[in-house]
Amino acid sequence: MNDDIPEPSILDRMRNRLTPDELPTDDRGRMRMVVDSLVLHLHPTKIPDRTLRWTYTWGLGGLAAVLMTILAFTGVILLNNYTPSAPQAYLDILKLNDNVWFGELIRNLHHWSANLLIIIAVLHLIRVFVTGAYRPPRELNWLLGVAMLLLVLGANFTGYLLPWDQLAYWAITVGTGIISYIPLIGNWLTRLILGGPEVSGNTLLNFYSMHIAIIPLIIFGLMSYHFWRVRKDGGLSIPKSLEESETGVEPKMERLTTIPNLVQKELLYTLVWIAVILVFAMLVQAPLEGIANPDISPNPAKAPWYFMGLQEMLLHFHPLVGAIILPGLAITGIILLPFLDINPKNVGVYFRSRRGRALVLLAAGLSLIATPAWVLMDEYLLNWNGWLPTWPSLISNGLIPLAVISLPLILLDDWVRKSFHADTEERVLFIASFLFTAFVVLTIIGIFFRGPGMALYLPWNMPASSH
Amino acid sequence: MKENRSSRIEILIGTIATGLIVLVLGLYILLEPGRIQTAQAGTLAVQLDDSMNLYAENCAVCHGLRGEGIGSTPPLNNPALRSMSSIDLAKTISRGRLNTAMPAWGQGDGGPLSDYQVTELVALIQSGNWITTKDRVVNLGLSPLVPFTTEPDPALLDKVGALPDGAVLQTAIKVFSAQCVSCHGADGLGTKIAPAVNAVLVREKTADDLTLTIKLGRAGTLMAAWSNVLKPEEISALVTLIRRWDEIPVGTIPAPNVPLPTTPESIAQGSSLFSANCSRCHGPEGQGSQRAPAINVKSVLTTTSDQALQQIITNGVPGTAMPVWGTRMSDADIQAIVGFIRQWETTAPEVATPVRGGGGPAWKQTTTQSTTQWWQSLDWRILVGITALLAISFTLISTGYTLLKKSGRVL
Repeated sequence: MNDDIPEPSILDRMRNRLTPDELPTDDRGRMRMVVDSLVLHLHPTKIPDRTLRWTYTWGLGGLAAVLMTILAFTGVILLNNYTPSAPQAYLDILKLNDNVWFGELIRNLHHWSANLLIIIAVLHLIRVFVTGAYRPPRELNWLLGVAMLLLVLGANFTGYLLPWDQLAYWAITVGTGIISYIPLIGNWLTRLILGGPEVSGNTLLNFYSMHIAIIPLIIFGLMSYHFWRVRKDGGLSIPKSLEESETGVEPKMERLTTIPNLVQKELLYTLVWIAVILVFAMLVQAPLEGIANPDISPNPAKAPWYFMGLQEMLLHFHPLVGAIILPGLAITGIILLPFLDINPKNVGVYFRSRRGRALVLLAAGLSLIATPAWVLMDEYLLNWNGWLPTWPSLISNGLIPLAVISLPLILLDDWVRKSFHADTEERVLFIASFLFTAFVVLTIIGIFFRGPGMALYLPWNMPASSH
Repeated sequence: MKENRSSRIEILIGTIATGLIVLVLGLYILLEPGRIQTAQAGTLAVQLDDSMNLYAENCAVCHGLRGEGIGSTPPLNNPALRSMSSIDLAKTISRGRLNTAMPAWGQGDGGPLSDYQVTELVALIQSGNWITTKDRVVNLGLSPLVPFTTEPDPALLDKVGALPDGAVLQTAIKVFSAQCVSCHGADGLGTKIAPAVNAVLVREKTADDLTLTIKLGRAGTLMAAWSNVLKPEEISALVTLIRRWDEIPVGTIPAPNVPLPTTPESIAQGSSLFSANCSRCHGPEGQGSQRAPAINVKSVLTTTSDQALQQIITNGVPGTAMPVWGTRMSDADIQAIVGFIRQWETTAPEVATPVRGGGGPAWKQTTTQSTTQWWQSLDWRILVGITALLAISFTLISTGYTLLKKSGRVL
């Protein structure tokens, strides 16, 4: 036996297993470490330097994952203080605020992270869309992402009810009202979701189980699949400059080791965002109104903010068109995107091309003017039902206005195609930018400009909500 | 070299973020006990506010304006009750008290209040302010009639005595005036807390049904079981009265004459309601006009009780221009107007000088209506908003269009 080296103690042996003696400094050693590391099996050993640029991805996908993690942790803590039964749920939230150390902070963190997640998920989708990163071979991952976006909306919506205050009760009443416009199965589906004819203790239990178990489980599965597919599809799409894509020169790339280049950036981003969200959650309270009261409906009763665009559309179209056909077409379009866009070029270029950039600006500008103009016209001048009193409302108040607003869009698209020889993907960008801007404008109008009776008011003249 | 520098900046930012997280968490821990106290006080304030409405709607009728208790109902505003445990108070409210007029209020026991509302009432008893509660009850127009009881009109009572079985009816009228009038109202016409018993539908019920209701009360309502308080012959007399009420002259059981309580808010409310609805005909100071008589006169105010004023406003005066206001205003609004009118009593003149003039064609009348044009309601925020929206979209459109034309040439 060798007497010079003493037998390591059990503690030393445990420590040696956890921390390697020295971190590798050369690329080869680092790659080995990554390959050997269970924690880092997510990332490849080397990544193109370009995909590390902040200005390409903005770290949106990673941030969404960070927010998911915050939501999971705070959510589990909230579970310990919550009973999903009708009046008790509200009392539990009061107790959480009034008697539990950090109770309010945890609730605020959960609330604001959930709302931020919706914005970030939408921005992530937009980034992938405008850089053409949904194109083959990434079309499956695009679909997974769309599915997760819908699930995130579902998770937020089901969580909205859980505090069981007036805000929750009536937002869910309005929100589930939209579902009942689905033809044939709408009423049945609404009853199934609500567990009865109206929002009640049964609804609370339904939403609770969806919010804490069913949806998170599916999201967790899809998230893992989503991450895995990123790697299977060859990593992120490679960012390119306009010049590179126009001249067709393949960009020169250096491949960097994941450790420390990528991991350091991820850690940094996580830390910064945790700090931001933490400070925000300390300063801004999550809303909590009086206990849910089915007898007193606030006027206006508004859906959660991310559905206000939909609620606003219901004011301008027959419900079947505003709540089912248009959103259905939008989602179908989003799902079909990777299969419609047949141009393999320009992936990784923001807005695809010079013409794409110009078209997006043009579309956003036009929509920014046209949407408020349409809303004002519809509020004060247009009266389809009154002009065509004998026609069914679905035609007079649904298909006709739909045709009236589609026509200029079709003409614009035709003009762009003929006069400027825009390609398919550029025209898709044009139409999508127009419609997305319109949806954002409608959401803003719904949130800030709608008062009692859902009439138009200026935000600074908004009368107090009445009953 | 460049990579190294940006990497160092990243590490610096990360360190700052970490420091910030530690710092704000530390600060938050220091502030947390204070936050919890504020949050508790805030919740209590909200609950007390709610509970005053609940008290006004459900409890004030028996326990009084400020929880002082009326007649045999116990006062709530005493220190002994205040120190009772929350659980005991909540149990008493939700389950009621056997052999008293206190019914069960909890939804679990057939009452109208949820557990949360019972909790709020417990908070009121333990730490409420009975002076503000009194104002709330008055402002909601729910102040109970004190005294609870009334005296039957002697002349009409004699008339009733002349009817067949007159003695039984007289007994019943006396019992009703002492026990039932507070909820079922003068002449049994009902109040907002209990239905009319002087009604055809009630008259049609069988004697057995009515006896059972009076004896056992009605679960889930204020109607207590009266078999412990009333003698069997009194109950049967009451049943006879209810079934033969169409023979009883109006006014036999009058409302007690008590002044309606007021608060500064209710008088302000009454004042604005009066100028909006009544001053057109009765004059801005109640001095009367060609259209309606003066109210602000000694002779009217001294001879008309608050209850009478309230009845005139609520039901109107048939055959005159005085309309029925009860269908357009709440009881609270009408009581507020009565309170406002009553204020004039001390300063009212002996003889009123009604408002004159106001006739002639419209263009010769001086109007105080302001003529605002739509552009006067424009303010700078609308202009800034519209300008910004137009500026942004035109910049986008023109930039987009210019770039589009250029891009057309490149390819």
